[in-house]
Amino acid sequence: MARILIVEDDRDLNAAYVTILQSVGHDVVAAYDGKDALAKVKEFDPELILLDLLMPIMGGLEFLQQYKLLKAHPNVKVLIFTNMENSPEVNEAYKLGAHRCIIKSWTAPHNLAKVIDDTLKAKNTDNSSAAASAS
Amino acid sequence: MAKKIVMAKPEAAITEEQAEVEALFNSIGDGAITTDKFGRITRINPMAQRILGYDEAELVGEWFPKKIVALKADDTPANLIDRPITKAFLTGHSISDKMYYRRKNGQTVPVYVSVSPILIDDKPYGAIEVFRDITLEEEVDRMKSEFISLASHQLRTPLSAIKTYSHMLADGYMGDVTDAQKKSLRTIIGATNRMNELISTLLNITRIESGTIAVTPKNLHIDKVVEDVIKEISLMAAEKSITLSFSAKGTTSRAVKTDQLILKEVVTNLITNAIKYTPEGGTVKVSVKAQVSDVLIKVSDSGWGIPAHEQEQIFTKFFRAQNIVKRETTGTGLGLYLVKGLIDALGGEIWFKSSEDKGTSFYITLPRRQTTKTMGNK
Repeated sequence: MARILIVEDDRDLNAAYVTILQSVGHDVVAAYDGKDALAKVKEFDPELILLDLLMPIMGGLEFLQQYKLLKAHPNVKVLIFTNMENSPEVNEAYKLGAHRCIIKSWTAPHNLAKVIDDTLKAKNTDNSSAAASAS
Repeated sequence: MAKKIVMAKPEAAITEEQAEVEALFNSIGDGAITTDKFGRITRINPMAQRILGYDEAELVGEWFPKKIVALKADDTPANLIDRPITKAFLTGHSISDKMYYRRKNGQTVPVYVSVSPILIDDKPYGAIEVFRDITLEEEVDRMKSEFISLASHQLRTPLSAIKTYSHMLADGYMGDVTDAQKKSLRTIIGATNRMNELISTLLNITRIESGTIAVTPKNLHIDKVVEDVIKEISLMAAEKSITLSFSAKGTTSRAVKTDQLILKEVVTNLITNAIKYTPEGGTVKVSVKAQVSDVLIKVSDSGWGIPAHEQEQIFTKFFRAQNIVKRETTGTGLGLYLVKGLIDALGGEIWFKSSEDKGTSFYITLPRRQTTKTMGNK
């Protein structure tokens, strides 16, 4: 099982994702904005980051820029979890090294766990733009 | 339409008439420019001078297409053949279009242009162009699109929480639930899915209309995309006992370079429409065929069809056929409008054939290669 950092400003959703991922055995830490996430990655050293894009204080794109995913953390998988499908922000996230984008409001809990497993198993070069939209 | 001028008046009357025409021309609230039959500027009214930043002396006698620089949405010069004034001269008809003019100071101004050829005794005499500055309209459109986009995102956040927690309850994360409770939770989940579909449609339409839809082409096999959609939708077809089938034709490759998410949205829309508007026990057939320079996708159903007299409006926003409105009350009339916009963004084409009470076939062609772009206006 993997170390997963959840970066989501909506506390209800964040708590739900923690419950879902802990139930399948992952080690999970919650952060509530990009700045909070930058502070937590140092100690937690996640293998996968589930990252929202629109957040107060620091959004997902700024987090990716400061985290220097491609240069400093090439082995960490970033899964964009957003409601802004097919938007320029999602394309920008791919450019910054995100592996996959899934749409929050389409994704059922059992699919979230499956997408995370698939992403963890995928090779690092396999950045997929396919949004998981199964509900 | 072309204007006919008949000149047969005494000199004094002509002078008075000319003064009247001059006063009328100068009083037009929009920009107005006239040219001779060679496209050389003969008159420019004060509003046109104000919009373009040139005075009369700088423009009169100049060749219109050279002096008044027109630009496309991407800031590159518009082709001469595409300019309304050229089209008006070539066709003899009035031509209207939205474009961008470069002011004398180098700034760009969005304008709505209408050009009419002037004919005297059926012979070309010149042209008159009337245009207005649409900067304010564009700004209002942009603000409207931003508002819808933001409102849609804000709507989705609580919807995500409703859906996630409903699923968690139904899946037993919070303890056992009875079958009746599960059934109620499935109803809540179904309703959130419908709300999500509606928000997606609104968001995509907003992006198309504001020109901010991003097209990211990737190499993909079209069969795989269509088969994935069919797998996702097969339950919907099964609920109506509709036979949903897929076939691939042609010996050449059905690989294309296009945007996967947009293509999926298009195919999903067409197949769900076909299922929705086909009676129970009917058939929906999807096929993919390789052609020389493109790939053809066909979605055929044995449904209620589109009445012949309404077929012209099929891709119009909010249009719903009368025979459908009587049977099915949940549609928005936005699906095919969206599909048309998305296909345009992919550089493809869409058309259909339909007979009432017999069925409808939609055809899409997609070019094998699609370039990265953000389509639409500035």
